[in-house]
Amino acid sequence: MALFSELRRRNVFKVALLYSLASLLLIWLVGGALISIGAPQWANEFVLLVLAIGLPVALIFAWTYEITPAGLQKSLDVDQTQSMVYKTGQKLNAAVSVLAVLGVLALVGQQLLPTFEFPKIIEPILLAPEYEVPENEGVPEEIRAFTLDNGLRVVVWPDHDIPNVVMYNFVRAGGRNEYPGITGLSHFFEHMMFNGTDRREQGEFDASMEAAGGANNAYTSKDLTVYQDWFPRSALASIFDLEGDRLANLAIDPDVVESERGVVYSERRMRYENDNFGRLYLEMNAAAFIAHPYQFPVIGWASDVENWTQEDLENYFRTYYAPNNLTMVFTGDVTPEEIFTLAQQYFGGIPLQSPPQAVRTVEPEQLGERRILIEVDSPTPLLHVAFHAGSATDPATQPMNVLLKLLVGGESSRLHRLFVEEEQIALAVGGFQMEGFDPGLVYFYLTLPPNADIAVVEGRLLEELGKIAAEGISAAELEKARNIMIADYWRGLATIDGKASALGKAEVFLGDYQRVFSLPNELAAISAEQIQSVASSVFDSRKMTVGVLRSSVEEDAQ
Amino acid sequence: MRFFKQSVVLALMMICATAFSDGITLPAFERVVLVNGTVLLLNENHDVPLIGLEAVVRGGATADPQDKHGLASLLANLLVKGANQRSAAQFAEAVASVGGRIDASADLEALSVSADFMSRDAALMVELVADALQRPTLNREEFVKLRDRSINLIKSAKGSDPNELMPSYANAFLFGDHPYGNPVGGSESSLARIAHGDLLAYYADRVGGDQLVIAVSGDFEIASMRDALTDAFGDWRAVTGLSPAIPLPEPAENNRVLLIDKPGATQSYFYIGNIGVARGFSGRAELDLANTVFGGRFTSMLMTELRTKSGLSYSARSKLGRYSQSGSVFIASFTETGTTVEALNVALATLSRLRDSGLDAAMIDSSRNYIMGQFPPRLETAVQLAGTFAMLEINGLDTAYINDYDLSLSAATPESIAAVIDQVYPASDRLVFVVLGDAASIRDQVDQYGPVTEISISEPRFHP
Repeated sequence: MALFSELRRRNVFKVALLYSLASLLLIWLVGGALISIGAPQWANEFVLLVLAIGLPVALIFAWTYEITPAGLQKSLDVDQTQSMVYKTGQKLNAAVSVLAVLGVLALVGQQLLPTFEFPKIIEPILLAPEYEVPENEGVPEEIRAFTLDNGLRVVVWPDHDIPNVVMYNFVRAGGRNEYPGITGLSHFFEHMMFNGTDRREQGEFDASMEAAGGANNAYTSKDLTVYQDWFPRSALASIFDLEGDRLANLAIDPDVVESERGVVYSERRMRYENDNFGRLYLEMNAAAFIAHPYQFPVIGWASDVENWTQEDLENYFRTYYAPNNLTMVFTGDVTPEEIFTLAQQYFGGIPLQSPPQAVRTVEPEQLGERRILIEVDSPTPLLHVAFHAGSATDPATQPMNVLLKLLVGGESSRLHRLFVEEEQIALAVGGFQMEGFDPGLVYFYLTLPPNADIAVVEGRLLEELGKIAAEGISAAELEKARNIMIADYWRGLATIDGKASALGKAEVFLGDYQRVFSLPNELAAISAEQIQSVASSVFDSRKMTVGVLRSSVEEDAQ
Repeated sequence: MRFFKQSVVLALMMICATAFSDGITLPAFERVVLVNGTVLLLNENHDVPLIGLEAVVRGGATADPQDKHGLASLLANLLVKGANQRSAAQFAEAVASVGGRIDASADLEALSVSADFMSRDAALMVELVADALQRPTLNREEFVKLRDRSINLIKSAKGSDPNELMPSYANAFLFGDHPYGNPVGGSESSLARIAHGDLLAYYADRVGGDQLVIAVSGDFEIASMRDALTDAFGDWRAVTGLSPAIPLPEPAENNRVLLIDKPGATQSYFYIGNIGVARGFSGRAELDLANTVFGGRFTSMLMTELRTKSGLSYSARSKLGRYSQSGSVFIASFTETGTTVEALNVALATLSRLRDSGLDAAMIDSSRNYIMGQFPPRLETAVQLAGTFAMLEINGLDTAYINDYDLSLSAATPESIAAVIDQVYPASDRLVFVVLGDAASIRDQVDQYGPVTEISISEPRFHP
């Protein structure tokens, strides 16, 4: 007990408590600072080690020495009647209290400031790359894929035919991630990604890229926002610097936001308000989906474009532009090794985030046809017809693609030949299938001659679709569709741009870039019976939305 | 989309933006002249199992009679609507059944048939292209159907994005009755005046082996392709009805305005320009450098002023039309109806700044890097290469046009560029304005730029 009393008298316990509190605060502050400047993990470990060594030193010091009016003296030399240890103890108590209060304030502050958080990844050290090599038959063996520790997925296909490189960055954010009030935000954000960072003014991103010989563009769909760079090999490092900067340090300047609203409005007027096809297309989607966010126009409803807020934009960036929500593809005059090294260097330090919330809403089954009519001044009427169908991974999706080639793929296709050439009830006919994360639509669009009998054309379309369901297709037709798709497959792989697009879409929508190369086998396995069965399940008038755009019809005389 | 590239622009870029980056040259190709004058250009390229073919016949829409614009275009489209023993439907089926593509079209100075086939179907491709050019059925029924459909498609386009029709209005107003003002696809009224006999006469007079260039690139062996093409085209007749020489167009000496009324349009679409220069213009490198900086890329002066800084428009470009004898130069943009004058004034101020200040050394450097950096992907596929070989031949250019382009870009100086800018980009008192929009809202505003000629978008013609 005497030792315990003496330890207490000499303030050893208080020094221990003070030291511990100070160390905790120091670790927290210095650790955060080291991470923010990108210091490696060992820097943090070094600080911990120094503090740990310091504790016994401090305790021995407290035991051995005492503070006196004459300065520091060995405890044994101090006249105990003159000892100040009590006063020193009080000062130590005060210091402990101050540190404790600071600690509590910091903890509370951290809760109040959600933007200040420890990045979870603090190891941008160059690791030995772990490349995934192609496993499936028919996949070019030079392709490599890897995933950084922060979740960023990268696929590289070297091709040295021309001294150029293509980069695609697929961001899993699109119209389906929106809700009333922020419709169009994904697309607007696509524009904002070019408008400046903490390091670069508005316009510098494009000016730097173009001065290095590069060009870029981007597009937004209902499922994705996709960024594209096309550049000479010599610009490779600049591109990584530019892309890394906007992912890590994007600035959302309120003045720029206002000016960009004008740009997007102009785009909206061009594509939709002053284009009858676009006008009808927006309303078709809004009618075909009553619950799922595929109903929203990717460009956004006008009132949302006017009113979304700074906070909406910041939340959106934090949630969707995290590395674990991105897939990048590089094709062209590069090696996997250099892409890996540059990706580590420029993207490796960007912290991962909690994954975005899943899109939960499932479109309920449609139980009867829906109709919309738009009456605007139009020299020729438009007829659009859409049916609910599957997602990109649905087993019916590829057979439907084959069928669409037969129905609307060019001059020899059934609907073109019948409606445009033989019966001349349409000026043009086309169609496509949405192939997204969630079940979408099979969509037909027809431009009709002036004064067309729209109902007759609609009847003919349904009759022809019904014929497929009832009678199926011939072996020759199936062979033709396969040939068209195989030739298109090779056309897609004839450019580094086509390669990047194909690899990225397969990786994002089908979960594996290697699926690009299984197309020939998949096509060979599709039978005429399968196509007939897909047609009969999809071309169901209860799952149909019909849209007409035409000039208003004057009332007939009674 | 962040910004769009009109197909027209891409087509022009193929012709005018030219050259590889350092150390790359146009791939070698073999040139063969057949006894009838047909020129073959052949290039092997085994990257993918595809073959691209471009067959070009000199002539085109400049040879259309003044009241029958669209004739060459109708003829081109009709070449593939039945040939030899195949009906239109059978011809289309023969192409598609092997996954091939054949497109026929006209431009101002040529008719083209482009084909893109799997290499295993090379023989069929040659057969179909040879049939389309030498043995087209030119069936009367197919002709009437195509003509009427073309008329209705123009009507339909008037309810679509006005950017599609602006080039037709702009060229018609700028060039007037000069052949470069002919709308290639015709107008509703000019198409209606074309008779089946006109088409037969055009074909008989102007389409023959001595007017033909065929370029092929892709996955084949040169010797066998040369033999196949020689067999298929070597005996084709020569024609006598050569196109008359194209005179030089007169530049506008004063400002004038064409206003196309589209009632209810929420946006005004505008072109501002004058006569430009021909493809063989000696200051081509300087002009490309200047046009890239002025309105040929995302950070161009026009995009910066009309989009980035002001938010007035989604797009603003400077377009060069370059033909054999002359050309056009236009600023093209659009803006909300209420800001029409503001946007026009910004465009004019930007044009003045280009003429007054020219390009400094840093801008020249950036422009050259951009042109060279973006060039290789334009010559990546068999179809692109075939198109380039044919373009060089038709225009009497040799490979130096591409291989030495970087040298001439590098040789350009601020002074030589300033001289070209002064020569090509019009001064503010000699500008042709073409504005499409809601006339009731902007009629009293655009008259400040010059005397106004007004036409309704529902009028069946492009010439006012």
